[in-house]
Amino acid sequence: MSETVISVKNVKKCFRVYLDKSTMLKDKILFWKRNRYENRMVLDGISFDIKKGESIGLIGRNGCGKSTTLKLLTRIMYPDSGTVSVKGRVSALIELGAGFHPDMSGRENIYINASIFGLSKKEIDKRISQIIQFSELEQYIDNPVRTYSSGMYMRLAFSVAINVDADVLFVDEILAVGDLAFQKKCYDKLKEIKDRGTTIVIVSHSLDMIEKLCDRTIWIKDGKIESSGLPKDVHSLYLHYLGQEKNENIRYI
Amino acid sequence: MFKSVKEVINYREMIKMMVHRDLRGRYKASVLGFAWTFVNPFLQLLVYTLVFSVILRSNIEKYYIFLFVALIPWLGMSGSVISSSTCIIHQPALITKIYFPRRVLPLAAVTTNIINMLLCMIVVLIVCFFGIGLEFRYLWYLIPAVLVEYILALGIGLIVSGLTVYVRDLEHIISIFVMLWQFMTPIMYPVDMIPERFRTVFMLNPMAPVVSTFRDILYYRRAPELSTMMSALVMGVVFLLVGWTLFGKLEKRFAEEL
Repeated sequence: MSETVISVKNVKKCFRVYLDKSTMLKDKILFWKRNRYENRMVLDGISFDIKKGESIGLIGRNGCGKSTTLKLLTRIMYPDSGTVSVKGRVSALIELGAGFHPDMSGRENIYINASIFGLSKKEIDKRISQIIQFSELEQYIDNPVRTYSSGMYMRLAFSVAINVDADVLFVDEILAVGDLAFQKKCYDKLKEIKDRGTTIVIVSHSLDMIEKLCDRTIWIKDGKIESSGLPKDVHSLYLHYLGQEKNENIRYI
Repeated sequence: MFKSVKEVINYREMIKMMVHRDLRGRYKASVLGFAWTFVNPFLQLLVYTLVFSVILRSNIEKYYIFLFVALIPWLGMSGSVISSSTCIIHQPALITKIYFPRRVLPLAAVTTNIINMLLCMIVVLIVCFFGIGLEFRYLWYLIPAVLVEYILALGIGLIVSGLTVYVRDLEHIISIFVMLWQFMTPIMYPVDMIPERFRTVFMLNPMAPVVSTFRDILYYRRAPELSTMMSALVMGVVFLLVGWTLFGKLEKRFAEEL
């Protein structure tokens, strides 16, 4: 329980915000002045450690850097300075259904999608019935994915991602999948994964869900960690802060 | 470097699935389906043969075979370069949302084209067999020839796919460049047509020795020159090393540029 699996040390990340962005060669040469950009600090020195089996909720207002943090953790982006290290196999419920081919069957797409998570053929073979069962798409699994409704599509994608058996699972605000019954099932599955000892990081605006699933909440504000601790405590601070902002806005009006 | 190689090997299933998806998915909605793999090179062969043995008459015996044995390896290379130039920029959803070793995409794009080439090679062998006969003693040379071309295509594919993310024009520049490259490679004409004094420079084009090797084996039915194959191999390995390292530098900012 005490082994650190995720370690983030003094991470900074700037985005280049182009004033008038162009990737065309002509524009790059002719209008080189337009290629000026300003650096916008998105993360300004964030550090935290997560131990094995812990589940963490990341909260904060839009644009505060939550999703950027998650992208750095999944190695989709790299920090400008500082270090990020994550141990073990990672799965992310971030973009579902990436790499699906509409003309291929659900079953074939499970193989494609699972391979993107780094599973070998053997591992997929072992999980395939479990994935199909979870998606509740047994009848349609050999039809091309383009014939699926959007709900069915998401269910299939979610079932693949959640059955990867990762050591670390990242979840970005996607539990609004399918109908209520399926949502409940997803929630239960997350709970089960957590109880199995998987480390989970959730980005969400649903404080309710974080309170139910997580051991700790990290509140990010303007690229810095504002507060971190038991979900209950952090959430009441956060709600208080949101309330204050609202009042200020009202005063302006 | 070793780490990145190991990681790509761990993701070999993904490369396999991407290749499978491309090969099966590409023509799925078209009437002729998979047959397009063969129809496309066949039509090109027809056009060039018409031009060079009827209009611009070149006195080469069995010109269509002379051309065919070089055209198929060339199409393997040009297809690899063109599809790798777009393999990253056409998949923003994958790049910005999921982690996987990015090199998988160009590797899969190139592999798809090389497999296509191998399938067409079967047709080439059949045509050669009935047209001029095959020298079975030398056929095994085809294996190193294909491998060398694969290495070269991987190197160029890695470079092109990464650079296109930053300079989108490359996508269009490359299709023109590939046309120029085709004329600079001895596909429609024999190497001897190049004046002696330009020959050294001409052979610096890495595809020149590759194509010559294929033609030696299948058209002239003789063992390819070892020095020609070696020079192609050396250039291929250099491209692969440069491509692999350069891609490692470029991939860091893919998610932000897309």
